[in-house]
Amino acid sequence: MRVTATVNGETHQIDDVWEGESLMYALRERMGLPGSKNACEQGECGSCTVYLDGVPVCSCLVAAGQAHERDIVTVEGLSDTGELHPVQQAYLEQGAVQCGFCTPGLLVATHDLLSRNPHPSDPQIREALAGNLCRCTGYEKILDAVRAAADRMDGGPA
Amino acid sequence: MTSIPLTSPQGAPSDTSSAADGRIGENALRPDGTLKVTGEFAYASDLWMDEMVWGTTVRSPHPHARIVSIDIGPALATPGVYAVLTAEDVPGANAVGLEHEDQPVLAETVVRYKGEPVAIVAADHPEIARQAAKKVVVEYDVLEAVTDARAALDPASVQLRPSGNVVRHLKVRKGEELPTAAVVVSLDFEVGMQDQAFLGPESGLAVPAEDGGVDLYVATQWLHVDQRQVCSALGLPPEKVRLSLSGVGGAFGGREDLSMHVHACLLAMHTNKPVKMVYNREESFYGHVHRHPATMSYEFGAEPDGMLVYGRAEILFDGGAYASSTGAVVGNGGTLGLGPYRFPNVHIDCYGVYTNNPPCGAMRGFGCVQAAFAHEALMDALAERVGVSPAAIRKLNGVREGDVNITGQVIDSAAPCEELVQILLDMPLPAERSGADLLSLPGGVANSTHGEGVVRGVGYALTYKNVGFSEGFDDYSTARVRLQVIGGEAVASVHTAAAEVGQGLITVEQQICRTELGVGRVVVHPKNTQVGSGGSTSASRQTYVTGGAVKAACEAVRARVLAAAAQVCGHTADDLALDGGKVVARSGEVVLDLAELLGDAELFADEGVEETVEWRHRPTEAVDPETGQGNAHVQYAFSAHRAVVDVDVDLGLVKVVALDTAQDVGKAINPDAVLGQIQGGSTQGMGLALMEEIVVKDGHIMNPSFTDYLIPTILDTPPMLIKILEYADPHAPYGVRGVGEPPTISSGPAVAAAIRQATGKALRRVPIRPEHITGT
Amino acid sequence: MKAFSYSRPDSVRDAVAGVAADREAKFLAGGTNLVDLMRLGVERPDALIDVRHLLGHDIEPTADGGLLVGSGVANSDLAVDPRVRQAYPVLSQALLSGASGQLRNAATVGGNLLQRTRCVYFQDVTKPCNKRQPGSGCPAREGSHRDLGILGTSEACIATHPSDMAVALAAVDATVHLTGPGGERTVRLEQLYRLPGDDPSRDTTLEHAELITAVQLPPPSALYRSSRYRKVRDRASFAFAVGSIAAAMVIDDGLVREVRIAFGAVAPRPWRAHTAEDALRGQPADAADFAAAIAAELELAEPLRDNAFKVDLTRRMGAAVLTELAEAQQQGSGR
Repeated sequence: MRVTATVNGETHQIDDVWEGESLMYALRERMGLPGSKNACEQGECGSCTVYLDGVPVCSCLVAAGQAHERDIVTVEGLSDTGELHPVQQAYLEQGAVQCGFCTPGLLVATHDLLSRNPHPSDPQIREALAGNLCRCTGYEKILDAVRAAADRMDGGPA
Repeated sequence: MTSIPLTSPQGAPSDTSSAADGRIGENALRPDGTLKVTGEFAYASDLWMDEMVWGTTVRSPHPHARIVSIDIGPALATPGVYAVLTAEDVPGANAVGLEHEDQPVLAETVVRYKGEPVAIVAADHPEIARQAAKKVVVEYDVLEAVTDARAALDPASVQLRPSGNVVRHLKVRKGEELPTAAVVVSLDFEVGMQDQAFLGPESGLAVPAEDGGVDLYVATQWLHVDQRQVCSALGLPPEKVRLSLSGVGGAFGGREDLSMHVHACLLAMHTNKPVKMVYNREESFYGHVHRHPATMSYEFGAEPDGMLVYGRAEILFDGGAYASSTGAVVGNGGTLGLGPYRFPNVHIDCYGVYTNNPPCGAMRGFGCVQAAFAHEALMDALAERVGVSPAAIRKLNGVREGDVNITGQVIDSAAPCEELVQILLDMPLPAERSGADLLSLPGGVANSTHGEGVVRGVGYALTYKNVGFSEGFDDYSTARVRLQVIGGEAVASVHTAAAEVGQGLITVEQQICRTELGVGRVVVHPKNTQVGSGGSTSASRQTYVTGGAVKAACEAVRARVLAAAAQVCGHTADDLALDGGKVVARSGEVVLDLAELLGDAELFADEGVEETVEWRHRPTEAVDPETGQGNAHVQYAFSAHRAVVDVDVDLGLVKVVALDTAQDVGKAINPDAVLGQIQGGSTQGMGLALMEEIVVKDGHIMNPSFTDYLIPTILDTPPMLIKILEYADPHAPYGVRGVGEPPTISSGPAVAAAIRQATGKALRRVPIRPEHITGT
Repeated sequence: MKAFSYSRPDSVRDAVAGVAADREAKFLAGGTNLVDLMRLGVERPDALIDVRHLLGHDIEPTADGGLLVGSGVANSDLAVDPRVRQAYPVLSQALLSGASGQLRNAATVGGNLLQRTRCVYFQDVTKPCNKRQPGSGCPAREGSHRDLGILGTSEACIATHPSDMAVALAAVDATVHLTGPGGERTVRLEQLYRLPGDDPSRDTTLEHAELITAVQLPPPSALYRSSRYRKVRDRASFAFAVGSIAAAMVIDDGLVREVRIAFGAVAPRPWRAHTAEDALRGQPADAADFAAAIAAELELAEPLRDNAFKVDLTRRMGAAVLTELAEAQQQGSGR
């Protein structure tokens, strides 16, 4: 079967989708967008989080066919200005990135959180990011990054 | 035969460079950080090449069986399949391993654990490869499996190796054989099997080369030890097996042993196509070694005031089916297994055994993590018996600089046990629970409890860890540093084979170059075998050892540059230094512009000044096999934790409220990165205390997924207060002390201690489950 | 690769007809469970009939004042619906205690009800499992069963149902709307599930090609407003329950006027504790009686070596949540 989807504003088309093929596989191996990461392939780690029609989901648990005629934004599409998005900049500057494998999913989840709630409390940050596993950082600097991104997007502390 | 494209794969490693500030002691940013936040950083699983095919592995379904026959016919006949290979197709030695070459690349006659590779398949699509793998027909004659380490130790049990079931038995003996003491405490402790749970699965791409060799792009911890084993298995010389480090998604010890390395190379050479292999999470659980589960019996004797008189311990590590690094883990368990305390008399037996369980090997903390749970529980028991606080018993007995430790080695740099504990005591405790916010309660948003049965507990732990490879190992690293003019600017470049796995070594390499050569821009070349070995990214050693090598190479480069400068300017070389892209005199006077100096064709060739240095730390020595005595370790790194927990004693739920650390790091080359190591390491230790265990039943892993193998989420992980001490080790470059492992060792025992304090339960096993706390 | 099709029919009727015509076809909605099971090889459909776009995505009031929840409503949307939070807090709490934000965004109400068990033997196609492969045996009784059932199990199967939401729905007397080749029907949520008995292969009473179209919540009442969900799991988020409780209770003049209790993670279906409810109804609202009533329900339990702790855990959780509900009402009434 053929799947046509809009990814990061561009139309992508793939053919011969196979049984069990996920949106994550399609993005990574067929559309040249490996930014979404393959850590668990069971929806447990959040590393493959993408926006699907504006809602963050684990792309590993979306059947490729389900992406047909839908709108997807991946980590590669978070910034369309050529500059880093404030969320990306904050993760970089706050040391929230070590191995970085969880980072793409966390960036999408953080981007979503701050678009819904520009001034999240620490418990709200924790709840919002509870679907993203990180094995390197112990999450402290991820919290720092989310706080910093919130400040940056707001032009200063709330 | 199709010709091989000579282009390198998409996602092949390339130079990383940054001109940002950041010398030693400053918070320089990662040079790969921008790529990582844009999704462009290429991990090994992202590699891609035209005409590449996909490899997959056929694994044993049995923990122990004889292979009667293998029929690859149906698999090979599957459309899209390029190759199906078995042990017969291994051209070189079908035996690899870190310490003992006891593990076949592909099982020949016997499989010794569930998940052992038996055959490999290459196909033009990963799903076709997986389906074809299921068609490889292997007939097994199932053998009795040894799945209990204690039973394996019994000479009457099935012997899995001609040499028996014992990989290593280390005895440590000091002082009297049978000392007596006024106060005696003892306990048994058990630690479950922990997984490294790095997020980036094992993966790599092997590309056949026109010279009959192979290029392997892979996520690993030590390129050269991989290269040695791949060469041996392929029957090729090192110059024909070239390894490059691809992006690594965490390691924590789990990438020390080979996984898909030889398999991908075999398939690539057989098909003459690039072969990519990517494990999924389940296969990853079978595809790498784990932290050894341990059973331990401990007894401490002390004076009535709590001063230790003797320590006795029996430590049993289940090494699983292959040796991996079990021998060295036993070395650490034995030599460090009583913790950082003064013991006049010692009697330790530490064993590592073969079983038919999944192989165990390196994981962050390496043999010290398991023992720490036992010795710290026992220190608390001793404190209680003699009526002093947990902090006091540790301060009383902690080793000090100049002490002779239990293996007869003088601790010849800072050993600030007392101060570390005092720092924790002086840190503010978290506020009492308010009760208003569900997220602050055990169980969090699951509304598990409203605080009815919640009790707070506080626990302490003090531990230490050896840094670098021990027991006489020739532990070194190689660095090639060049200083040249690029675009009118003096630029340093650094080339080592030391693996960057996320910890930030490449940042440290840049900081050292900036500090030593006084430049801004530093290019880090890809890590590969085109330069000498960097040694393993293990044992908290890279900043020390590769940092030492980079520093030494910089010094060699600088000496040449300053010698040339001296010729030109009339100062003596000794009076000159490099700073801010200039040659400066000690007086502060700017003498020459560095770029101009380097551009002087009379003095330097176009490629500037380059030096390659192989650098070694102080030698260590093997310990006496009967007494364990000897200068086994090069450096000790100390850390202490305080955990504060709220425990719902009715439901068995634990909420870690605070997890505070005091650690001596010698010198914080990059303070932010040090904090990151401590925060991450503490979280892994906490995970083992509370939730992480690979459940093995009859040799089968019952939870090979992130659904069932749980690691801490952001909701499980508390805020952390961290205090860093910087007591320089005079023997180490910049005085550094390894950072990565100590927090993983002391955090778990502190959490366990806090739960014991809250509940009054003995809790002699980790991870501590709800049912252990409720007792039913 | 196995021949495989994916389709997006234009109507529920066409979708049902499509699945009815093919024993190996499956409905697909959010995909969070089915896509995973396909990857594991547990499910091998030859056709996926995507119904996500066909299912109701709205939560609408019913004539009697209740709510009709379209089966395509995302778990995250149901959890935050103000009417649900106010009138059926147990449901909102159960949803938020399950999975993660990303999964709740993708998972639908219908799909949540039809999740398959997390029993490790079911998930591992190399192992015997009577549910996955009838007659192959059940190694869980002797093997790894710490997370498995103590109520309603059989010799053939001790699997538990993993849903949190379904436990809450059982406690608020939800009904399920179905459409299939034979037309439309409704069943009480409890009746949606069957106990394994000799045939664990079927989790539900659904016929092949029957599709869940909606879940109906009864009219709001003091009972449902006074409801809670509690869950014990091995970490603070994103883990299946080790045990859970959904409870609703109204107290009048110190007596339990009405009560609903459902246990999760202990049985092949959300376990309505009718014995406990009967024991409490009309009796004084007393903490000791709460524990005794829950204990009476658990008399039926047949725990095994490694899951016996679930009996006490469930009893303690049940007593605690009922006590909490009672105290809340006493405070609320000013006493």
